[in-house]
Amino acid sequence: MFRAPNFSRRWKMTWIGILGACSVILGLLLSIGGAGEGLSFFERRQTGSPRLISIVPLPEMGPACEWVPASATLSLAAALQQERLAARSEGASPDEATRLAASQRKPVRIIHDPYMAYSSVAVDPIRNEVVMTDENLFQVVVYDRLDNTPPGASMTEPKRIIGGRNTKIEFQCGVYIDPASGDLYAVNNDTQDTLVIFSTQAQGNVPPDRELATPHGTFGIAVDEDAQELFLTIQHNHAVVVYRKMAQDDEAPIRLLQGDRTLLADPHGMAVDPKNKLIFITNHGSVFENRPGYNPRAGGYGRGEPKDNWPVDGPVPGTGQHLPPSITVYSSTAQGNTPPLRIIRGPKTQLNWPTGLAFDPQRDLIYVANDMGDSILVFSTTADGDTAPLRVLKGPKTLIDNPTGVAYDAVNDELWVTSFGNHSATVYKATAEGDTPPLRIIRSSPLGEDALMIGNPGAVAYDTKRDEILTPN
Amino acid sequence: MAHPQIAAFARLADGAMQPNRRIEGQITRLGRTMHAIAYDAIHDEIVVPQQFAQAILTFRGAANGEEAPLRGIQGSLTQLSAPDQLAIDPANNEIIVPEDDHVLIFRREADGNAAPIRVLKGPDALRDASMAAVDSVHNLLIVTGNPAAGAAIKPGGRGAIMIFDRTAQGNVKPKAVIAGPKVMLAGGNARVFVYPPREEILVVANGYVGVWSIHDSGDVAPRWTIGGPDGILLAVRGMALDPKHQSIIISDKRLNSILTYHFPEIF
Repeated sequence: MFRAPNFSRRWKMTWIGILGACSVILGLLLSIGGAGEGLSFFERRQTGSPRLISIVPLPEMGPACEWVPASATLSLAAALQQERLAARSEGASPDEATRLAASQRKPVRIIHDPYMAYSSVAVDPIRNEVVMTDENLFQVVVYDRLDNTPPGASMTEPKRIIGGRNTKIEFQCGVYIDPASGDLYAVNNDTQDTLVIFSTQAQGNVPPDRELATPHGTFGIAVDEDAQELFLTIQHNHAVVVYRKMAQDDEAPIRLLQGDRTLLADPHGMAVDPKNKLIFITNHGSVFENRPGYNPRAGGYGRGEPKDNWPVDGPVPGTGQHLPPSITVYSSTAQGNTPPLRIIRGPKTQLNWPTGLAFDPQRDLIYVANDMGDSILVFSTTADGDTAPLRVLKGPKTLIDNPTGVAYDAVNDELWVTSFGNHSATVYKATAEGDTPPLRIIRSSPLGEDALMIGNPGAVAYDTKRDEILTPN
Repeated sequence: MAHPQIAAFARLADGAMQPNRRIEGQITRLGRTMHAIAYDAIHDEIVVPQQFAQAILTFRGAANGEEAPLRGIQGSLTQLSAPDQLAIDPANNEIIVPEDDHVLIFRREADGNAAPIRVLKGPDALRDASMAAVDSVHNLLIVTGNPAAGAAIKPGGRGAIMIFDRTAQGNVKPKAVIAGPKVMLAGGNARVFVYPPREEILVVANGYVGVWSIHDSGDVAPRWTIGGPDGILLAVRGMALDPKHQSIIISDKRLNSILTYHFPEIF
């Protein structure tokens, strides 16, 4: 996919020009530098071995990089000084009409994925519906469980779409369906520190039927229906909070799992085994230590009003680590700084940014959406240590591409996978392995249209060497 | 976010055009919430903060796929707490990391458990720093955030642009503070960039981009703006300058999009 840098004829032809531009910049630094600013530059020249500052194009510097003709009568420094003064006076006085016109200018290009990108999935076999969160367009979408997008169709129309400012749906990564009521629980991973709950009637730009204020950075959701408890993973503070299932508004969690002994490290997906009273959590591996009193700025990671069992929001400076990816297993009643009962990690596991998790009570298995492996990994619920998966669902026929969500349908014994990388949700027999085609597929885009996977682009940079725009999620 | 990545799009990409390459995967050590990225054209490197692991990661400019960083600043000496933003100063070989109530400056080549070479911090310096930029031509460190409580200008938490000498460290007052109602910074989380040839400071704040001069001080309205009330921009977070094509490139988190504006007036 990567296009090699274009060391073209143009590059060769501008070689001399680049060296000239370097000279101009050097002259500029020498001419305008005071004692302090010049010092570091001279220090390098005096104490180090001679070093070529650059053999590549300098960052684009606009007019300051332009050629100064040999016949120029002014000194270089004076010319540059005049140029800067002229630029300053130009910039100082745009008239109001010009400023207004500039402020209302339209972009010349917009990079944007127009299709829904499914991040997580939940199945409702009672109402025969499947629900996906769309992290790209900020929606929760409901389809008929048996929908199947024909190969020639561009998409399948959802039965219902919940989206818009009133819904408080933004970067959603987790979803749960209450089997009794059909209520949708949708997790906002960022920008909205609120768990939003919608009834089966909700459609369009409607406010949630119920809300729960949560710590910042919730990702995975699981519910123990027997215990009527709701579990959420917290990425930013490496924690799990447990609420009453019907908690709302500012109600406090009833338990907190957090601390260095938990080995929680950028936790993502979650599943509950109610029979054996276990919870399973996927971890990407980044972690730092949290201690009370280490956050000098109010409103940091654990945004929201501190309350009982609220995650400690105190990143201890310099404690950051990159741990291997893992699946950690705890008692569902674990709290405090409790170590996991078991931990699945190591090269045999094939874990590579493990994200979504689902529990299969019929076989005592967990299914892992292994984002960067383009695979679904299947482990026993008793797996421990550096263990190879029992089965792997992976390959071009599966259509699995950057899977981030997985759900098990116990009634129909089917496995649902959302591929964040290709606008699709695919369904398999629960026992599928290898390069097995899906039984059905729901697409939000034409077949083969890969997703851009942009999510909360918090920054952007311009690579002048390759003429590329760099943007992180 | 479901999937962390650094995506590289062609400059002329538009609509749903695919990126040329992606940096992603366990080996990269990336995590989500990378709220800053810098491209160092002199050394051909990409630098990002990784706040979930309290690290600063540097990749080669052409990094692609599952590729390990060239260097990582991480460890007990770093003082890194929640590195959310960063800026680079390739001319002086430095990486600048604003955090909470201070600004940490590292050597560009620092790797592993490296201490900062300077720290700007103190009651006279600033109250909090959200973003920083370096004008290496005019030898300035420009910080957005909130100024010290005793600063002459008290913006009441609305945010400010603070201008320091580039090598300022310790409890040093800013040379100038741009703040006040005309500055229109809605809070302390504005992000700042510079264009030295025109002596410009560019700030992105929620719904707009504003342009000031490095010579401004006090309650000064921006000379230029893009966006604002009722505009297309909703939640601007990042910006990059492309002087060659007289364009600015903006990321908007609520639009989940990258937008390019032709803006010759500022170049």
